[in-house]
Amino acid sequence: MLEDQDMSVQEAAAVVRDARVRAREELVISTPLVYMAWGLVWLIGYGAMWLSVRGQHPYTGPSGVSIAAVFVLAGFAIAAVLVIASKAAAGIGGQSVRQRRIIGSTWAIGYLILLITAPAVSSSVSARTLALISFAGPVVLAGLTYILAAALGRDRPALAAGAWLVIVGTSCAWLAPAAILATCALAGGGALLLMAVIETRLRAHDS
Amino acid sequence: MTAETELDPVIHAPARLRVVVTLATLRDGDNLSFTRLQELLGLTPGNLITHLRKLEDAGYVTTVKSGSGVASRTSVSLSPQGRKALDNYTAVLRQLLDSASADGTSPQ
Repeated sequence: MLEDQDMSVQEAAAVVRDARVRAREELVISTPLVYMAWGLVWLIGYGAMWLSVRGQHPYTGPSGVSIAAVFVLAGFAIAAVLVIASKAAAGIGGQSVRQRRIIGSTWAIGYLILLITAPAVSSSVSARTLALISFAGPVVLAGLTYILAAALGRDRPALAAGAWLVIVGTSCAWLAPAAILATCALAGGGALLLMAVIETRLRAHDS
Repeated sequence: MTAETELDPVIHAPARLRVVVTLATLRDGDNLSFTRLQELLGLTPGNLITHLRKLEDAGYVTTVKSGSGVASRTSVSLSPQGRKALDNYTAVLRQLLDSASADGTSPQ
């Protein structure tokens, strides 16, 4: 591009618009994709576990296949989010890098605690309590992580998503195990998919 | 405070405008490496350095070099003054476009 090339006002407006769109595509993490990845994991994963426990009398827990499917799907979602985030964050330094590390490690530590706690207490708590820790726990944790992300990044949609997930996870305390799974699938996964749509529209509006 | 009516000549050049708009996408407190900025804008290193120098002279961007040898990294960030200048620039641009469409003329 030529040095100090003269531009008309229309050309300048086009430069601003194009540069803004390209910079957002390249430098901003695609939150709609992140919401969609986790929304699908929850909708399909919790949905599969719910289908496997539906009609169980007495409740014995989700099938091994459905639990394995959740871990495989979650693995794909984690990989997808890492790829999306590292691509957008390449070359960026400063405050948001530290914030992302805090958010990521908070979620990872919380999830690790849940993974250790659930099997450790499985023999001493009721099936309903175990279902609450194992299934609603990750939803509350994700909600709190979104609230933390919102607080650090001043992100109102993330605050709304986080508050909703905390409400969904907490409301599971009054539900039976099968209903907990259905609630997490529909009200948790469904909400994340809705957030993907809302974020897409907000981004289109900002452009 | 008087309203600006002219486009800031420091920003009103295609390459510098793209530099400022790209850096404005970053959050406050963030910076971008020189190589990523160059890759995004498709400018040669020499060309980008020239434009960054003009923006730096105006106080719109800050460049910081850290490390040494192969580990050295030059990071570029938009200063609060640069962010304000871009806001003013886009406001004036909008005004000119609005008045042109009201008059049915084509502003240059």
